[in-house]
Amino acid sequence: MILLILLLIPFISGLAVAFFKGTQAARTFAVASAILNLVITIFVLVNPVSEGYSAEWIGFMNIQFNLATDGISLVMILLTNLLFPFVILAGWGRSQRNVPMLNSLILLTQAALNGVFMAQNAFLFYVFWELALIPVYFILLVWGGDDRKSITLRFFIYTLAGSLFLLFGIIYLYQLTPGSHTTDFSAFNQLQIPEQTQTWLFWILFVAFAIKMPVFPFHTWQPPTYKMASTQGAMILAGVMTKMGIYGALRFLFPIVPLGVQFWQPVVIILGLIGVIYASVIAFKHTNLKTMIAYSSMAHISLMAAAMFVANEYAVKGLLFQVMSHGITIAALFYLACLVKEKTGSTEFHQLGGLKNKAPIFAILFLIAVLGSIALPLTAGFVGEFLMIAGLFQQSFWYALFGGLTMILGAIYMLYAYQRVMLGGQKPVFEKVTDLNRLDYIILIPLLVLIIGLGVFPQPVFDMIKIAGSALTMAH
Amino acid sequence: MNLALLVPLLPLLGFLITGLGYKKLKHNQAGIIASMLVALSFIVSVTLFFILKSSGKDSATVTLFNWINIGSLNIPFAFLIDHLSLTMMMIVTGIGTLIHIYSIGYMHGDERVNSFFAQMNLFTFSMLLLVMGSNYLVLFIGWEGVGLCSYLLIGFWYKNPAYNYAARKAFIMNRIGDLGFILGILLLFFTFKSVTFSEVFQQAGALQTGSTTITLITLLLLVGALGKSAQIPLYTWLPDAMAGPTPVSALIHAATMVTAGIYMIARSSILYNLAPVTLEVIVVIGLATAIFAAIIGLKQNDIKKVLAYSTVSQLGYMFLALGLGAYSTAVFHVTTHAFFKALLFLGAGSVIHAMGGEQDIRKMGGLKSKLPVTYLTFLAATLAISGIPPFSGFFSKDMILSKAFEQNPMLYALALGGALITCFYMFRLLYLVFFGENRTANVHPHESPKVMTVPLMILAVLSTLGGFLNIPALLGGKLGFSSYLDSAVTSKSGEEMNHTTEMGLIALSLVLLAIVIYWAYNTFVKKAEVPAGDEVQLPAFQKAVANKFYVDELYRAVFEKPLASLSVFLFKKVESLILDPAVNNIGRGTAVLGALTRKLQRGNISFYLFAMVAGILLFIVFILII
Amino acid sequence: MKDITSAIQIIPLEHYILLCVTLFSIGLLGILFRRNTIIILMSIELMLNSVNLLVAAFSAYHSDPAGQVFVFFIMIVAAAEVAVGLSILVMMKRNVDSVDINLLNRLKW
Repeated sequence: MILLILLLIPFISGLAVAFFKGTQAARTFAVASAILNLVITIFVLVNPVSEGYSAEWIGFMNIQFNLATDGISLVMILLTNLLFPFVILAGWGRSQRNVPMLNSLILLTQAALNGVFMAQNAFLFYVFWELALIPVYFILLVWGGDDRKSITLRFFIYTLAGSLFLLFGIIYLYQLTPGSHTTDFSAFNQLQIPEQTQTWLFWILFVAFAIKMPVFPFHTWQPPTYKMASTQGAMILAGVMTKMGIYGALRFLFPIVPLGVQFWQPVVIILGLIGVIYASVIAFKHTNLKTMIAYSSMAHISLMAAAMFVANEYAVKGLLFQVMSHGITIAALFYLACLVKEKTGSTEFHQLGGLKNKAPIFAILFLIAVLGSIALPLTAGFVGEFLMIAGLFQQSFWYALFGGLTMILGAIYMLYAYQRVMLGGQKPVFEKVTDLNRLDYIILIPLLVLIIGLGVFPQPVFDMIKIAGSALTMAH
Repeated sequence: MNLALLVPLLPLLGFLITGLGYKKLKHNQAGIIASMLVALSFIVSVTLFFILKSSGKDSATVTLFNWINIGSLNIPFAFLIDHLSLTMMMIVTGIGTLIHIYSIGYMHGDERVNSFFAQMNLFTFSMLLLVMGSNYLVLFIGWEGVGLCSYLLIGFWYKNPAYNYAARKAFIMNRIGDLGFILGILLLFFTFKSVTFSEVFQQAGALQTGSTTITLITLLLLVGALGKSAQIPLYTWLPDAMAGPTPVSALIHAATMVTAGIYMIARSSILYNLAPVTLEVIVVIGLATAIFAAIIGLKQNDIKKVLAYSTVSQLGYMFLALGLGAYSTAVFHVTTHAFFKALLFLGAGSVIHAMGGEQDIRKMGGLKSKLPVTYLTFLAATLAISGIPPFSGFFSKDMILSKAFEQNPMLYALALGGALITCFYMFRLLYLVFFGENRTANVHPHESPKVMTVPLMILAVLSTLGGFLNIPALLGGKLGFSSYLDSAVTSKSGEEMNHTTEMGLIALSLVLLAIVIYWAYNTFVKKAEVPAGDEVQLPAFQKAVANKFYVDELYRAVFEKPLASLSVFLFKKVESLILDPAVNNIGRGTAVLGALTRKLQRGNISFYLFAMVAGILLFIVFILII
Repeated sequence: MKDITSAIQIIPLEHYILLCVTLFSIGLLGILFRRNTIIILMSIELMLNSVNLLVAAFSAYHSDPAGQVFVFFIMIVAAAEVAVGLSILVMMKRNVDSVDINLLNRLKW
C-alpha cells in the first residue's frame, strides 16, 4: 500500500498544482509534496515492505496493476525521490512561464518514474515508461532554450521509436506465456526461450534502453537536448531518466533473455567502451559548458553500460552505486551550469573566465562537483567507477584499461572546463557577478555533501542492493 | 595505538577550520592554526614512535571503519603503523611543520592566505593517508589526494593561465600514472584476493620469482610511481609545478607527493623482490632520469627550475636504489633529501622574497652579505645535495653509489657522473646567487623575518647532521636507520664490499667533486661568467639542453595535438557526418516514403474507383486461386 | 403466383446470371471510364438493378420470398441515393459549372 502512496502523492499533487494560481504557492506545494515523497521513500528504505501492492486492472488480458520493490528498484526510487525536491527547488526565484503547469509536469514525471521503477508487470512498466516521456516532452518544448522545437521533436521520436520495439517485444513475450497469457515479470522470467529467438529478441528489447541511456551509437539525441533543456529539464533527463534505460535493461534483459545477453555481451561491452572513449574525446574540444557536461555524462553512462554487461558482482554493484552517484553529480553539475549561465549570460567558454575572483565559494562548489565527476577517491564517483573497472578487469584486462581511460580523459576535459569558467583574471564584464545566494546553498550543499558522504561511507548503499546484486548475477 | 588516528585527523581539522572560516580568520591566524595542528600531528607521530618501540611490536593496525565490503573485496579504512610508515609520518609532519611555519612569513599579506593554509593542511592530510594506509586502496586515496592538492596549490595564483595550465598538467600526468596504479591494484586483488598489505605480502611468497603475474603487477604499480615521483617519461609536470608559491614546491618536493612513489615501491618490496625484470626496468629508468634531469639542470636560469630538475634527478637516484633492491637506502635518501631539498626550496623562497619576486639567477648575485642566514643554510644544503661529507647527502648518496658498484661498476660510473653534474649545477646556482656583484640595480635585498629563517636554521642542522642516522659499518656505525626499517622493508642483501674498495670509491668521488667545485668556482666566481640571456643563440646541444631537450614540445606534438585533432575529427566527421545524418536520414526517409504514397491520394475519384475495383478483383482472384 | 415462378423457371438460371454479369460489367465500366457524373450515376443504377434482377431470379428459383423483399428494399435505398446523388450533381453544376467528375479532386489532405 505504501508503494501506491509513493506513486499517488506526486500524481495527485501534480494534477492539483496545475490549477494553482499563485506562482509561489504552486512551488511551495510542489516542493512540499516532493519532500513528503522523499520522507516516505526513506521510511520504505528503513522498513522494507515485503508485500507489494496488487489490484485488478485489465481483466480480460489478465494484466494486474502490481507494484513491488527489490534492491535495484530501491536504488532507483531513492535516487528519483531524492533528486526531485532539488529539481523543483532549482526553479525557485527564477522567472519562468506558467509555473503551476511546469511544476505539475515535473511532479507527473516523478509519478511516472516511480511507477516505472516499481512496476512488476511489463505492460504496466511500458505504460509508465511512455507516461514519463509526455511531461518531459512538454517541459523541454515549452521551457527549453534555443532550437527547442526541432531538438525536442527529435528526442521524442527517437525515444518513441525505441519504445515501439519494446512494445513489440512485450507483446511477443506475452503470447509466449503459457495458459491465460500474462505480462507479469515473474511469468516472463520463467519462460524458456530458445537461443535462436533470444538473440534477436535481445535487440528488440535492448534498443529502447540503449536509446534512453544512451549507448553509442544511439546517443545523437542527447548532447543537443541537454544543451537546450532548461536546468530542471536537464536535471531530470540526465539525473534520472538515463537511469530508466539501465533499470529497464537490468529488469528485462538479464532474467528474460539470458542467452541473448550472453551472445551479445562482448558486442555491447565494446560498444560501451567505444562510447566511453568517443564521448570523452569529443568532449575536450567542445567549447560549451553544457555540451561538455552532456558528453561527460555519456562517457559515464557508457562505462555503466559496459559494466552492466560484464555482469559480475563487482560490476553490478558498482553500477548500481554509480547510478546514485552519477545522478547526484550530474544534477549538481547542471545546476552549476545554470548558475554560470545566469551570472554571465553564457555557457560558451570563450565568453567565460575568472569567475572565481568574484565568486570564490561558487568556484569551490563547482570544483567539488567536477571532482565527483572525475571520480576522485572519497567522492561517490570513485567507489562506483572503481568497482565497475574491477568488474571489467575480472572479465578482461583490456576492458579495464579502456574503461579506465575515462579517469584520464575525464580529468582532462572537466578540469579544462573548470579552468575556463572559474580561473583566470577578472574580466571587466563580470564586475557585477555575485557569489551564491541562500537558495543555491540549499540546493548544492546537500548534493555535494552526498557526493562526499557516499564516497566516504558507501557501505549503506551496498547493503541496500545486496539482495538484488546477487540475484542478478545468479540469473546470469 | 588509537592515537594514530589523530595524526591525519589533526591536519584535516586544520583544513576544515581554515577552509570554512576563511572569511573570519584575520592576519596570521590561519597560518598559526595550520602550523600548530601539523606540529601537534608531528608530536603525536613521535609519541607513536616511542609507544611502538616500547610495545616491542613491529607494527600495529588501527581500523577506523569498513569502507567497502563486497564479496571477497573487503577494504577497511585502516591505518598501518610500522617502522616504514612511522618514518614517513615523521618526515611528512616534521618537514611539513617547518614549511607551514615558514609560509606564515612567506605568504604574509597574500589576500588568499587562509585558503592557502587550508590547502596545505589538506595536502599534509592526503600524504598522511598515503603513508599510513594499511591497504593499497587507502594508499590510493592519499595518492590521488596529493594529486588534487598539488593541482590546487600549483594553480594557487589562478589568475595566471600559464599556472593553471601547469596545475592541470600535473594532475593529468599523475592521473596517467594512477590508471596504471589502479590496474595494478586490481590485478593484485584478483591474484591475492586482498589488497591489504599484510595479507598480500604473506601470500606473495607462494608466487614464483619472475612469474608473469608478479612482473605485470609490479610494472603496473611502477607506472603509478613514475607519474607520482616524476620519472621518465612522466616527469615533465614537476618542473612546471614551480608555478605554485615556493613553500608549495618545498612541500611537494621534500615532504610529500614525489616521495610517494618511492614509499609505495619500498612498501611493496616483497613483491618487487619477486620481479627481477621490473627491478631492472627501475634501474634503467632511475639512472636515465638521474642523468637526464641533471643535464637539463645545467642550463636552467630560474632558481626554482634548477631545484626542480635537481629533484627529478635525485628521485632518479632513489629509483636506482629501489631497482638495486636497496629499499631502505632509498628511504634513507628520501629522508636526507627531504631535509636538504626543503631547505633549498625555502632558501630559494627567501631569496625570491628578498629580491621582490625575481627568480632569474642571472639577475641575482652578491647576496652573501645581504642574506647571511639564507646563505649559510643554502650552503649547507648545497654541500649536502652534492654529497660532501659529513653532510647528510653524502651518506645516503654514497650508499646508493656503493650498491650500484656491487651490482655493476658501469652503473657506478654513470651514477657518479650524474652526481658530479649535480654538484656542478648546484654550485653554479650557489655562486651565481650569492657570490659576485649584485646584477640588478634597484633592488634592496633584506634578510627574511625570523619566522622564515628559524625553519631554515633547523633544516640546516638536519641537513648537516641527518646522515648520522645511518652511519655505515665502514665508519664504525651500525646502519641504525636501515636496520630500523628492516622489519617493514625487505631489502635484497648483496655481497658486502670490502672496506678498501669502498674507501677507494669514496676517495675517488671526493676528489672528483673537489675538481668540479673548483671548476664551478673558477667559471662563475673568478671569471664571473653569467649565463647568456634568452636572446643569445647557443650552440645546438646547449640550446637543446636549455630547452629541456624539447620533451614538452615532443609530448605536445605526439599526444596533445593528435588527441585534439581526433576530437575534432570525431565530432566534425563521425558525429556530424555519419551518426547524426544516419538518424536524420531515417527521418527523411519516412518523409520521402510519405511523399511517394501521397501520390496515390490525389483526390481523383476515378482513380479511387479504379483502385477499388482493381482491389476487389484482385481479392476475388486471390480467393479463387485458393 | 405459382405461374409466374414456373414461367421464370422456363429460362435457365445461367442466362439470368450471364445477363446480370453483363449488365453489372457495363455499369462498372461506365463508372470507371466515363467522366460525366450523370452517366456515372446512371451506371451505378444499372449495377444496382443488375443485382436486383439476379436476386429476384435466385429468389424465384429457390422459392424464397426473402430475396424479393430485399429487392424492394434496395430499390428504396437506391431511390434515396439517387436523390442525394442528383442534388450533389446540381450543386456541382452550380459551383464549378460542369459535371466532369475529375474536377472533384478535393478529396485529399
